[in-house]
Amino acid sequence: MYRQIIIALCLCTSLNAHEMTPAYPKLESSYVDGVSVAKLKLFNRRSDVSWYEIGVFTSDWKPVPFASTSNIIEVGYNKRKLFDVYIRSKDIAKAVYICTESKVFKGKEQVTLVSSRICSKIKQNK
Amino acid sequence: MKKLVPLIFLLSATPAMAVDSPITGQVQPKCSVWTETAGVYGHPLPYKLSTVPADGGVPASIRIDVAQADYYKARFTHPNSFSSSPTLNDAVAWTGSTVVGQVSVSDMSAYEAAKVTYNNVTEFNLTLAGSTWFTVASTAQYGSTKSLPAGNYTALIVAECIAK
Repeated sequence: MYRQIIIALCLCTSLNAHEMTPAYPKLESSYVDGVSVAKLKLFNRRSDVSWYEIGVFTSDWKPVPFASTSNIIEVGYNKRKLFDVYIRSKDIAKAVYICTESKVFKGKEQVTLVSSRICSKIKQNK
Repeated sequence: MKKLVPLIFLLSATPAMAVDSPITGQVQPKCSVWTETAGVYGHPLPYKLSTVPADGGVPASIRIDVAQADYYKARFTHPNSFSSSPTLNDAVAWTGSTVVGQVSVSDMSAYEAAKVTYNNVTEFNLTLAGSTWFTVASTAQYGSTKSLPAGNYTALIVAECIAK
């Protein structure tokens, strides 16, 4: 009982979350020949963060070239942002993860900063 | 009364209009990373910074919520360098840990025994839906018990949620 109350209190009081969906984005043909696009949605509930960096990676976390409106996107507090990630057809086979990572400012106090990163796994067309 | 009777008649004759107003929703695998407490370094000794409560520090507390079971793994990287500090002329020895704190489902306690640790990284397989709190501690010792220069020190913890 107490646990549920504590969890409910925490859910009400803390508003510092980073969310990204879908977990398994699908690559679809884009308007550019030889380029596929994945559509994702980022929700920023971190009041201390308003910039997120997009990255595309292989299964062993090597970067894969991609294009988006910007590599670093601004998402206001409690705002959602839809963004597209364009990947060339020749890179599709090695692209596994699409990630967004919060960009934190250097603190001015004696603290540890927490950077959050969420990675979705690209659903490969068989 | 003369006015009331036709009024009642008119109201009863008015056809009732009903329009379906569906509420739609979508449940999908989702992970949220909640930074509940950013850690604070205590300075128990001239050469040491630590987030351990016994050293006067506050460990970072990060909550991860997963909406569906077994879709994500969590990965925490505790610091092995300062992201900002005064100029340091000697090496810093870093230690740290990530442990499971409170859990919303009692079976999540098993995450602690099943965690995988390498270098300064700790991975947890999130096999159950719900909320898990993780506590990340960090300690930095400067040189061979050399005093740390005065100034502000910050270090970065990376909390990740990765689709499996």
